[in-house]
Amino acid sequence: MNQRLLMSLGLALLLTCPLAAGQHVLKAGKDAVSIAKTSDKPYVVPKTPDGQPDLQGYWTNNTYTPLERPANVTKEFYTPEEALAAAKKSAEREASQIDSTPGTVNDVHYDFTQFGLDKSQTVLNSNLRTSMITDPPDGKIPPVTDEGKKRAAAKAAQRPPQSATYDMVQNIVIGSRCIYQGAGPPMLPPGYNPGYQIIQGENYVMILIEAGHETRIIPLDGRPHPPKTVREWLGDSRGHWEGNTLVVETTNFNDRVNFRGASENLKVIERFTRTADDTIRYQFTIDDPSTWEKTWSAELPFTKMDGPIFEHACHEGNYGIANTLAGVRAQEKRAAEAAAKKGAQ
Amino acid sequence: MQRKLVITLLGTGLLLAALPVFAHHAFSQEFDINKPLQLKGTLTKWEMINPHSWFHIDVTGPDGKVTEWMIEGGSPNTLIRLGVTKYTVKVGTELTIDAYQAKEGTNKAVGRNFTLPDGSRLFLALSGAVPGGAPDSPQK
Repeated sequence: MNQRLLMSLGLALLLTCPLAAGQHVLKAGKDAVSIAKTSDKPYVVPKTPDGQPDLQGYWTNNTYTPLERPANVTKEFYTPEEALAAAKKSAEREASQIDSTPGTVNDVHYDFTQFGLDKSQTVLNSNLRTSMITDPPDGKIPPVTDEGKKRAAAKAAQRPPQSATYDMVQNIVIGSRCIYQGAGPPMLPPGYNPGYQIIQGENYVMILIEAGHETRIIPLDGRPHPPKTVREWLGDSRGHWEGNTLVVETTNFNDRVNFRGASENLKVIERFTRTADDTIRYQFTIDDPSTWEKTWSAELPFTKMDGPIFEHACHEGNYGIANTLAGVRAQEKRAAEAAAKKGAQ
Repeated sequence: MQRKLVITLLGTGLLLAALPVFAHHAFSQEFDINKPLQLKGTLTKWEMINPHSWFHIDVTGPDGKVTEWMIEGGSPNTLIRLGVTKYTVKVGTELTIDAYQAKEGTNKAVGRNFTLPDGSRLFLALSGAVPGGAPDSPQK
C-alpha cells in the first residue's frame, strides 16, 4: 500500500471524528507521491482535438493546507503522520469556529454541516506541503513595503464606522453584495463551494469559478493587455503554452480587489500543469513591488471532482441585503417611536 | 492508475457545526438573537438558490390559522452534488425548525436546525445521497 493511499485512509479516519457526512472522497495530491518516492511512469498528458494539453473538466482546490506556513513549523513537507495531525487540527479549528449555544451571536446562523458546506463534504485534496507558499523558502508572505503599509492605513481610514456597516447598501462589504467574492486570480480555495470548470477552445481557455459564479476568459492568441485605464475585478488575463503548461499573466486589476493588500499594479503569473488524470498542479507568482519587498510564489493541487456545477447565481437569491436593511430601518423606527413616546410624557 | 478512494462514513458522534472562514454576511444583523423560535410546519416550496436557499413552510397555529414562513438556509450547491434535490426533499415534508426571526419583524427566519418527524436532522439523514443524483431522481 503506498503512502498516498495510507494518507487517504488516515485522513478519512480522522475526519469521522469532528465532522459528519454521508460520503467523503479523499485523496492526496501529487506532492504526496513525489515525497513518497513511488515509481510512477511519466504521465502522458492528454490532448484536446486542437492538439493542446487537455485541462478540461471539473476540479476542486478544497484543502486544509494553509497559504502560509504555521508559526511552529520550519520544514517544507510533513511526514504523512504529521500531515494527518495537521489536518486533524485544521478540522477541529473549523469545527470550533461556530458556537452553537442558543442565544449566542454565532448561533444565529444555519448549520454549515447540514448543508454540506464544511470542507470534508467536498472532494478534499491534501498533500504533504506545510504551506502553499513555496517561495520565499520560509513559506511566509514577504514583508510589506512602506508604500503598502501607507496604502493599507489610508484604506482603513476610509471604511465606514462599525455602527454604519449595515446602515446603507454601499457600506455593506462587496462579498455580501455578490459583487466579488475572492475569485482571484490567484485562485485560492474559498470557504465553501470550491468548484471550477475548465473548457478549452483553440484560442481561449475558460475557467468557471463556482463561488460567486465568476468566469475567466483567457485569450491565447498573444494579444496585448488593454490600456491601464481598463480595470477589472478579475483583472485581465492572457495565456500561452510552455510545453504542457498553460501560463497565464493577469494585470489590470481594479483598486478594490486588494488581494492580501495588493495594489492595482498587481501582476499574477499562473501555471497550470496536468500531472495525472485527476490532478492539475497549480502554481502562481505574486508580483507587486509597491506592496511586497519581493515576489512570492505558491502551489496547490486541483483535483478532479464530479460535475456539473450548480450555478451560484448570487444576486438571484440575495434576499439577505433587503432583510438586513429592512431590519435596520425597523430598529430606527422603533427607536424614534420610543423617543417620541418619552418626549410626550 | 486511478487512486480514487471513496469511503462511506457513518457519522455517529456529536455533530458539530463548522463555520468556514468565508461566511456570506453577518446573520446576526439580519436576524434577531432575542427572537428565537421553534416552527413546526409543512414544506410548500424550497428555493434552491444562492447565496442562500429559502424554505417556505405553512405553520398551523393553535386556532387552526395557517401562517406562511420563509426560512433561510445554506447554499444548496454541495447538497446537489451529494444528490439532494427537490425530489428528495419533497413539498409536503413535515419539518421542525429551530430558528431566529428576522429583525424586520415579518415571518422570516434563519433555520438553525431542520429536523424531520423521526427526529433526524434534514440532509444529514439522507444517507442515500450519492454523487450524481438521488435514486428517485428522474434524471437517473
